Amino acid sequence: MNLPKIASISRKIVVACVGLFLLVFLLVHMGINLCLLRPDDGAWYSAACNFMGTNYIIKVFEVVLFAALIAHIVITVALQIQNWKARPVRYHQPSKSKTSAMSKTMIWTGGLVFVFLALHFVNFYFVKMGWVEGKYMIQSEELITPELQKQYMELSQGLLNEEETIAFQTKMEAVNSIITKAEAENLYSEDLKWIYNLSAEDVKPLEKVVEGVEPDFYHMAYDLFANKIYSFIYLILFVALAFHLIHAMQSAFQTLGLNHNKYNKFIEGFSWVYAIVIALGFAIVPIYIMFFV
Amino acid sequence: MNFTLKIWRQENAKAKGRFETYKVENISSDCSFLEMLDILNESLISNKIAHPVCFDNDCREGICGMCGLYINGRPHGNDDGVTTCQLHMRKFTDGETIWIEPWRAKAFPVIRDLVVDRTAYDKIIQAGGYVSVSTGGVPDANSILIAKDKADKAMDAAECIGCGACVAACKNASAMLFVSAKVSHLALLPQGKVEAANRVQKMVEKMDELGFGNCTNTYACEAECPKLIKRSNIARLNREWICARVGKEK
Repeated sequence: MNLPKIASISRKIVVACVGLFLLVFLLVHMGINLCLLRPDDGAWYSAACNFMGTNYIIKVFEVVLFAALIAHIVITVALQIQNWKARPVRYHQPSKSKTSAMSKTMIWTGGLVFVFLALHFVNFYFVKMGWVEGKYMIQSEELITPELQKQYMELSQGLLNEEETIAFQTKMEAVNSIITKAEAENLYSEDLKWIYNLSAEDVKPLEKVVEGVEPDFYHMAYDLFANKIYSFIYLILFVALAFHLIHAMQSAFQTLGLNHNKYNKFIEGFSWVYAIVIALGFAIVPIYIMFFV
Repeated sequence: MNFTLKIWRQENAKAKGRFETYKVENISSDCSFLEMLDILNESLISNKIAHPVCFDNDCREGICGMCGLYINGRPHGNDDGVTTCQLHMRKFTDGETIWIEPWRAKAFPVIRDLVVDRTAYDKIIQAGGYVSVSTGGVPDANSILIAKDKADKAMDAAECIGCGACVAACKNASAMLFVSAKVSHLALLPQGKVEAANRVQKMVEKMDELGFGNCTNTYACEAECPKLIKRSNIARLNREWICARVGKEK
């Protein structure tokens, strides 16, 4: 695979810039994951997921993120192929030069991170995009509140008086129109409160109905992490990510020419701390769910 | 001291090479690695066993950059900051098996046995690793002021002897340490600074064209450089590159 004639250093600068952007993204994503640990029945986590799913600035960044990720993968794979070609005959003796294991295995740890991303996309992202049907996707029919169901039964049995029948029909119409609108516009109960100027009391019976538009990532995450095999694979892949990141940050600085005797030790230390914090921040969620829930 | 040598033998650039095993005996511990190979070659010639083992060498005092063997998985062998000719047999244990290979890189094809063609380095220098005007004779001291730290860094970079150990050590066969040393050495000094932007672009373009790999910042080059050229030069090369590209006029 040959890229158009762009100098090796320019390509590496793109990889480094994009890599630093991805490092910042990981911090944001980790923050959202940590919301899973709050004992609030998913209020923060769902709010965060909803924000990430609906905010327009985030939607723009979603495109930037994908472009960044694809650029990072395509360029590094192309560079790696060139690197392999640069030594057609290998040495008989394995190298005994003093180098870090992380720096020499970037393409492999990166590959493992890619495997993780594939897994992650099937489980979460494709569900979010509606490309894959998640089993946690709540169907609207199921969400007619028990109260409405009861009233419907009573109506069919002729137990409601005229006034109650009109009240029920008005309510059903309102519910149906809001469901239709909410499904069409991907709205959330908070939005509905604002748009229809409804009180919290009015929205309450509708809350579940409208949530049916979005997949329930909170319970999905809990159920996935409760699966020990899934969590184990997840943890292994985050060790690979930690390995990748330890070298990634300091390497990006070097590629961008940011090397200084006074700060080198700090950059190296910061890379280690950042990589370990990120990996632990992600890993603590499945560990907590596996062993403490 | 006695050693078993596993040496790469290859008749010419196109021939298929193989490892041959030779035994050398009664080697002094003060013998240099190349002297040990001389002793082997003398015995190969006088006993009419085989064609002598070909290897590059010239000054044998660590300044010419001609010698260079990949010994037991390390360029210039198991010692830091020395060339192969400065490596002594006391660094090995008696009875040890020593694997000797040529530099392996697409840009450094094997000519014969352990000799490789390092013309690629000359081509990189020819692309821009020089000051293109005559700077005259030795000027009076202090007629051109150069900061001490700049002069030190330039001198450290100028220590590069172009032996190719950085390429040999690098898992990607990248020549970045060599190019960065040459770029740094000239860019840090006033005489070289004038052409710095042009130089860095030409040298990097030539380096890419010659089939060297890309630096992945593993720093095997720094670990194996016989002249202890530092990785900070590679960062300087990257900075020079960025400045040259950003400041490039259309």
